[in-house]
Formats: sequence, structure tokens, C-alpha cells
Amino acid sequence: MVAFGVFVSVLPLFYILLRTAQIGIDELLGNLLRARTWELIYNSLSLTLVVCLTAMTVGTAQAWLSFRSDLGFRRLFQIVAILPLAMPSYVLAYAWLSVRSEINGFVGSWLVLSISTTPYVFLAVSAAFNRHSGAGEEVARTLGRSQMSVARTITWPAIRSAVFGSGLLVALYTLSDFGAVSLMRYDTFTRAIYNAYRASFDRNSAAALALVLVLLTVILIRIVSRFSSLQAVKSAGQYRAMQTKLGNWKIPAYIFLVSWFAVGVLVPILSIFYWTVVGQSQSNLGEITRAFLNTISYGFVGGLTVAFVGLAVAILAVRYQSKYSIKVERLILITHALPGVVVALSFVFLVNQSVPSLYQTSALVLLAYLALFLPNAVAVLKVPISQVPTGIEEVSRTLGSSQIQTLRRVVIPAAAPGILSATAFVGLTVIKELPATLILRPTGIETLATRLWSATSVSAFSAAAPYALLLILVAGIPALFVNREIRATQNRSNLVTAVSNDVSVSEVR
Amino acid sequence: MSEKVRLENVSKSFGKVSVLHDVSFSVKDGTLLTILGASGGGKTTLLRLIAGFDAVDSGSINMNGREVSSESMSLPPEKRNVGFVPQDSALFPHLSVSKNIAYGLSHLKSGARDVKVLELLDLIGMGDQRDSLPDTLSGGQRQRVAIARALAPNPDVILLDEPFAALDAQLRSKLREDVRAILRAASATAILVTHDQEEALSIADQVAILRDGTVAQIGSPRSIYSQPVDVSLAKFLGDAVVIPGVVTAGKVSTQLGDLIPSVAQPEGTKGQVAIRPENLYLQPDPKGLAVVTGRQFFGHDALVEVKTAAGPVKARTSGPISPEVGMPVTVWVRGSVNFYPAD
Repeated sequence: MVAFGVFVSVLPLFYILLRTAQIGIDELLGNLLRARTWELIYNSLSLTLVVCLTAMTVGTAQAWLSFRSDLGFRRLFQIVAILPLAMPSYVLAYAWLSVRSEINGFVGSWLVLSISTTPYVFLAVSAAFNRHSGAGEEVARTLGRSQMSVARTITWPAIRSAVFGSGLLVALYTLSDFGAVSLMRYDTFTRAIYNAYRASFDRNSAAALALVLVLLTVILIRIVSRFSSLQAVKSAGQYRAMQTKLGNWKIPAYIFLVSWFAVGVLVPILSIFYWTVVGQSQSNLGEITRAFLNTISYGFVGGLTVAFVGLAVAILAVRYQSKYSIKVERLILITHALPGVVVALSFVFLVNQSVPSLYQTSALVLLAYLALFLPNAVAVLKVPISQVPTGIEEVSRTLGSSQIQTLRRVVIPAAAPGILSATAFVGLTVIKELPATLILRPTGIETLATRLWSATSVSAFSAAAPYALLLILVAGIPALFVNREIRATQNRSNLVTAVSNDVSVSEVR
Repeated sequence: MSEKVRLENVSKSFGKVSVLHDVSFSVKDGTLLTILGASGGGKTTLLRLIAGFDAVDSGSINMNGREVSSESMSLPPEKRNVGFVPQDSALFPHLSVSKNIAYGLSHLKSGARDVKVLELLDLIGMGDQRDSLPDTLSGGQRQRVAIARALAPNPDVILLDEPFAALDAQLRSKLREDVRAILRAASATAILVTHDQEEALSIADQVAILRDGTVAQIGSPRSIYSQPVDVSLAKFLGDAVVIPGVVTAGKVSTQLGDLIPSVAQPEGTKGQVAIRPENLYLQPDPKGLAVVTGRQFFGHDALVEVKTAAGPVKARTSGPISPEVGMPVTVWVRGSVNFYPAD
């Protein structure tokens, strides 16, 4: 099972390397050294940069205001800040396009991706504030430092690695996003790869572009992994941190938080409701029901498949840690570096060359889900498994159960609640997936995500609305709850790693 | 009585660190052996070797006459028929009390299993909580269930790893007595490791002292306490006053007077005597050469510090009549003393 998971996970990267080797260096360079490639690099990187800066600034400000200031309704603002996580980027893109279709291209992508990624920064920086007690700030104040000086010398160093670490994750997210940029018609690598494939089934240029994108992502991932090890700071005990008095700045702070909420949540949601109501008379209930059922089945079967293999890997990683198990985990993570579009296209080309009968089957869609989400599943499944004390396994062995029997009778049942939430989480992630489903689904099978995407692509806003609404209700909001539950099962000291894991692995897709 | 467990020259290292070397002892059927040692002294490793979680590097472990571990083989834990009670009880969190106890009985038919579980619930006095889940139980209750669970498949030996360490002092002594009674009632053979001397001495039939990875002394609690084999063991088990002395005319001549050695010694031997605080008697005496310098009062008794010609010593006295600080006294030694010839 583990071997199967690893096999599926390394397939896409294997394909890209194989393809690159087949193309030959001349043609590869010919494909890459075109003005078009430089344009894509420029587009992708400039978008990544501004989204990063926006998310880092807004997320940090949100975290500071809602944890360390004397603003009212702080708890409310804390919840509001993570609500955008309930909307996949392409749903947000649809929502804003349906408000004003002039907001597209660079500006539209910037707006939508900033909204989508700010919660990751907010979560990471909040966690940093929580584990940093604030006692240092108070001591510094008693030593005669001003508020500004304390912020610069004590607070900033404490949250710095969280800000930059999450900023890099935002960059990763932006680089690999397909849904938002494609709907906003902004040419980044992911959109160009998809179009190259769609327009001409031009494997070579798609593969060459994918190679550049993969290189960019790999560089980012390397930097990210350096940062996440920096974040492992011990948690400070319970301590009520001193709150900064905002004084006259309170009004601007409220205006800032409320308007970000309006832009990120309120306007998109209202627009989706508006178009749902407006288009009610023409909406095709049969079509919606079919898409809904397809989505649920993909989510259910996909979630179970990925969680099943993930459980095997998680048990191996937690309980039988060895050089071998660490390698397995690394191998699985490789695919995580690949944007969904690239993974999906690799599968298309690979099965066409080797097992054409798999092409356009739901089985292939499931394989792609496995490659895409296995790392997420392993990350969330490791938590409940590692919480089962090893002592009870030893006792079980002395009572006559073998290793395998002990797994079945003790470890898995004891971890069952956590395994269930993790499975649900993976299923919900599958439901929100767009590019792989779009590219690999059998002809005629539509899901909520693909319907929303196609309708929005032709500016059929009222036809798209019910799908957006359903996606938020069926996947987005439940995912927020399940995610909360997964985190709640971890104790305080684990929370820190949980949140950073969370941000790094389980959510960025 | 037959031997249930026998260890012969068992050694174990982790990497370059030798944790146990040449450990040998045996446990007789139906008796309780406590292994007393300092924290980090290899006690838990010893239990894990017997349970089969780790394999011995050399030497052998026999159970019921059957070799379970040697240099060349190690039976897995599930084939050894041992019961294991870890420090934190490690109850299966998803199973009720009775299902926890029934876990090791899957080979029985359900009727026989229920009978056995009821019997054990009765033995630990927890029939009312049979359907409770572990997280609703108190620490003491959890340990009882853990013991019942370990006893259920009639193991050859039951291993207890500091089973009372996680409990508060009062509960600890109560549970200790209960556990002793439960093990007796079940005629179980048991090995219990602990770092608490009082615990080791109070419930054991035999005590083995593990020092520097090997058994320094093994015997009944009484002999361990009254006849430690060397000075450092005498100091390890309870307080002891150690003073130099020379054997003269069959007695040991010391600065606290001429004392009777517990074992006859050749004339002229030099060495040390170890005296327990309760063997010192303080007689209030205005002309006494010793003077009381401090006192720890415990109620029923008191530990009195006295400055003597032989240096400071501690004497245990009856609480209500213990001498005051500053009072001159004469120090007497009651009974015989343990004499350790110098090497």
C-alpha cells in the first residue's frame, strides 16, 4: 500500500523528467527561450510578489490587532479573519467577476489571491503571538523603552519567522494556483500550461513550461522548509499579554478590519446570493443535482482512497520510523511541489503512452487525487496516530496480540475519531479541487467545481451562482469546522507545529 | 516452590552504553520480587527484556522452564505469557473497563470470558464501573484495571513498572496494600520495579537491589535492611551513621564506644560500622559529651542531630520525649552493628 502510494506520487515528476529528456536540449531551449516564456516568468513572479506583500501586511496587521490591541470584538475579528478559507480561490474569482467583470487580469488575480492567502499569514502570526507570552514586552517597557521601540526590538523578532515563513507559503500557493488566474484571464505559468495543452495538445511546450514552474516551486519549497524549522519555538505558558492601547488609531483600525472583511467575505457572498436569486428561474435543477452527486461521490471515494493509503504511510512514519520511512515521506512530498495542473497533465500523457484505456476514467481522477493529496492526508493522519501512547501497544503485545492485531484492535480504534476527521478533511479538500478534475474527468461528468469554472469562463454569472454557493456550503464551511476540530485535539505545545503543518501542507492547494 | 522466572547473566547495552551486565536472579512461584534502584539505573530496561520489548545481548531468560530470550533468540511479547502494568496504566482509551480486562481473553468462548471478567472485576472491587471508559476513572482505579487486565490471561509472571509513581502519597500506600492483596488472592508471581525504598520493602517477598546495572544484593526485605552487604548499600537504604572502628577483644572499638558486631570478626581488623538511627539511644546527661544541634519533628518520632566525638550523627527518638536542641546527651548504641572490614 505504501509502495503504491509512493509509486503514484512520484509518477508526475518522473514523467516531467522523462519528457524533458525526450525533448532534447535543443528543442527544450527553443521552447523556453522565447519572449513568451519571459513574459510568463514576469507575470507569475510579479503577481507572486504583490500577493505576498499584501497577504503578509494584512495578515500580520489582523493578527496583531485581534490578539495584542485593546480593540473591541477581537474574538469576532479572529474568526472573521479565517473565513476566506471557506472559499476556494476560483469561487472568489467568480464572485468578484460577478460583481464587476472589469476587475480581471493582474488586478483581479491580485485581489482574489490576496484574500485567499491572507488567512495563512494570519494563522501563522497568531500562533507566534500565542506562543510568545508578551512578558518580554512588559519587561522592556519597565526598562524605559517606548511602545514603538518595544515593537521593533521585542515583538517583531518574535513573529518575524512566522511572517516570512507564511509569506513563502503564500508565494507557493500563488505560483501553483490555477483557478483564480485562469478565470481572471491573467497569463501565468499554470494558465499557459493548461492552454498549451488545450489548444494543441502540445506536449512539448506544456512540459517545458511545467519544468520551469516546477523549478521555481522547488526553489521556494527549499526556502520554506528552512523557515519552518525555524518556527519550532517552545510555547510559553498561559499568560495574558499586555494590550496596546490604540487611542485615536482605533477608528482607522476598525475601518481597516471591517473593509477587509467586506472585500474578502461580505461582497463575494452577497454577490453569490444575489446571482443565485436572480438566476433562480433559469437554473437547471437536474444539472445541479447531477454535479452535486458527482462531487459528493468523488469527495467520498477520493477521500476514502487517499485516507486509506495515507493511514498506511502515517502508521509507517509514526510507529516504524526508520531511514526507509523518512524516505517514503520525502518521496511523497515531491509531488506536493507540483502544481495541480502539472500533475494532471503528467497523468494524461503518461496513461496515453502506457495505459490508454485509463484515459478519461474516474479511476485516473482518483489516482491524481492520490498523488495530489497524499501528503495532506499523511500530515493530518500522523496527528491522531502519534497521540496513541506506545505503552498501550506494548501492553497489547503482552496480552497475546501480534503487531498487526495490535494495530487493528488498539491503535486504529483508539485513534478512530482523529482518523475520521482527517478522512473528512481529505474528502472536503478533494471536493474543492479544480484543475485535475477539470483535465482528467471522463467526458460528460461534471462536478460543482468544473461547472462553476466553465460557466464563469463564459461570463454566465447567474448560471454559475448555485455551484459557488453549494461549494461553500458543502466543502468550504465544513472544512473550516473539521480543521478546527483536528487542531483542537492537539495539546497546546503541539498546536504550534500543528498550525505550521497545517499551513504548510494540509491547506495550500 | 518452583521457579517461575530465571535470569542468568543478562546483559544489555544501548550503543556503547552498558545498561545491564550479568544480572541474575530468580522468582519463585506465587511470590513478589521488587527490584529497587535509582532512576535511570536500568530497572525499566530489565522489565522490558523480560516482557520481550527488547532482546538481551547475552545471558538468558527462562520462564516456567522455557527459554524465552538468549543471545540467539527472543520470543515476541505475545508469545511469552507475561502480564505488564506500566506506570501510566496505559488502558485502551476506546474500550470500557470490562473490555479492557477481556482484551487478552480472545481465545476464550464469550461465556467463559464473561465469567473471568466478572471474577476479576470482583477481585479489584470495581464491579460498578465495568462499563466506564478509562478517562472517567481515577488514577488508582486505572491501575487496578490495568492489573486485572494483566492478570486475566493467567500470565506466568506479572511485571509492574513503577505502578504507583503517578499517584499522590496517600493513595499510593492504600493502593500498594490493595495490589499486594490482589496479587496474593490471584496467587500471581510478580516483579515490581521501583525507586521508592519504602515501597520496595513493604510489599515484597524478596527485594533485589539494582546498582550500576547489576544486582548488588537480593534477599528478604528484613535481611536487606538489617544486613546490607556493604557500606554504600547501608547508606542507600535509609539513613545510616558510618564511623570507623577496630576489632578489639571481639568487639568493635569506636568513638561511640565498644560495639557488638553482628558477625564475629578476627582481632585487629580495621573497618567501618554502619548504625541505623533507630539503634542510637540518646540519654539526657548534664555531663554528656555530645550535644543536640538540630531536630526534625515528625509527630510519632523525631530525627535528632547530635554532635559527637565521632562527628555529627542522626538518631531516631520517640517524638514526644525527644531531647531539645542544645541539650547535652550521652549516645548509646543498642543491639549489634554491621561491621565492614576495610579492603
